[in-house]
Amino acid sequence: MNIRAEARRLRHATRVSRYDHPVSLGKNIRDFFHGAAYGAYERELRLQAAELNDLFLLLCYMEIVGLPNPATLYLLDVYPYLLEQFHQWHRRMGMDRSPLGTLPCC
Amino acid sequence: MAHTFRALIAKRVLFFGGKGGVGKTTCASAMALAASQAGKRVLLVSTDPAHSTSDMFERPIGPEPVPLLPNLHGLEIDGAFESRRYVANVKEHIKGIFGHQILKEANKQIDLAASMPGAEEMALFDRIGALIRGEDDRFDLVLFDTAPTGHTLRLIRMPELMEAWIRALSRSRRAMLGIEQDDATDPVMLSLGERLEHLREFRARLLSPRSCAFVLVMVAERLPIEETARAIEQLEDAGVTIGGLVVNRVLPETSPDPFLRARHEQEVIYLDEIERRFTSHLKVRVPQLASDVHGVKTLEHLAGLLIKEKVLS
Repeated sequence: MNIRAEARRLRHATRVSRYDHPVSLGKNIRDFFHGAAYGAYERELRLQAAELNDLFLLLCYMEIVGLPNPATLYLLDVYPYLLEQFHQWHRRMGMDRSPLGTLPCC
Repeated sequence: MAHTFRALIAKRVLFFGGKGGVGKTTCASAMALAASQAGKRVLLVSTDPAHSTSDMFERPIGPEPVPLLPNLHGLEIDGAFESRRYVANVKEHIKGIFGHQILKEANKQIDLAASMPGAEEMALFDRIGALIRGEDDRFDLVLFDTAPTGHTLRLIRMPELMEAWIRALSRSRRAMLGIEQDDATDPVMLSLGERLEHLREFRARLLSPRSCAFVLVMVAERLPIEETARAIEQLEDAGVTIGGLVVNRVLPETSPDPFLRARHEQEVIYLDEIERRFTSHLKVRVPQLASDVHGVKTLEHLAGLLIKEKVLS
């Protein structure tokens, strides 16, 4: 096996996203126009999703802000799924660590 | 509408309620006994935190169904026990799904939530819901000996409230998922959907006149009459069928004792008032017995009086 082939294999193994692939000029142009046309729209959607996500988290963790939550017990088995979202929330809010002592995250 | 108390035996769920001390437990136990002797497999459930069915049957009854007599099981619901069991179930359920780190944090979170005020009541409600949905198929009839009226009315309102709450939650979740991903595979959505389905089934059974009825027990006195009138109004408002009224401890008409005669004269006025105010409901009068009711023998006697064919209606 020569060095050139080894390098190619390594390069291939360390590719992290589809953008690492050599793409054709046509695809590049397509991506550019897609971004130009939909970029702002997609960003808006992401923001909206994040907001809805926060609302849902609030509804699930109402006791933490001092509001009674009638469904606490029924939410117990979804808590583990929400931990990941909680993590995303405190990162999004610009906090490296969980701001709530009762809800340890990182 | 059932025309006799005997016809109530054909239901799937019966509630016995009323003011404290009027003889709910006694009547519920007698009815359960009557139903079991008529060939139904009966579960008698006490939801009053101060249980007394075990005293009635003169043997210990716990938070799991205990066989009492042929065809008859007893169960005394315990909020603390239900809440512990609920939490243990949840922990068991998530154990296989998540990694160690998340589990550790989630378990902490779950323990915290389970110690919140209201968690016990909620667990109790969940158990009652499961019983009403007919989760335990060993029984044809589940008969509830309830706590005094206020507590029970709240319990009956709860499925409606919870359903609205969970529905709002899942709507919020769906709106979010609509943007990000598919909601058919989202575990949170699935969990909420299952809850919603259970609550819907619970409520449907509770409100079905064919499968569920509420029996109100009272004595012919001022306060129980007023409370019964209020309870009927609120139950009907909630959509629950009233199965009938038991007028308990009616005094004998003739007595050599002047004190008893005087009591009876007053009672007649209240009995008339009961006839007048609750005209549309099935009523049965149970006489004051010579001895208090506990143990199977006296219960059998009372059961006979309760479901006798001739009723005043």
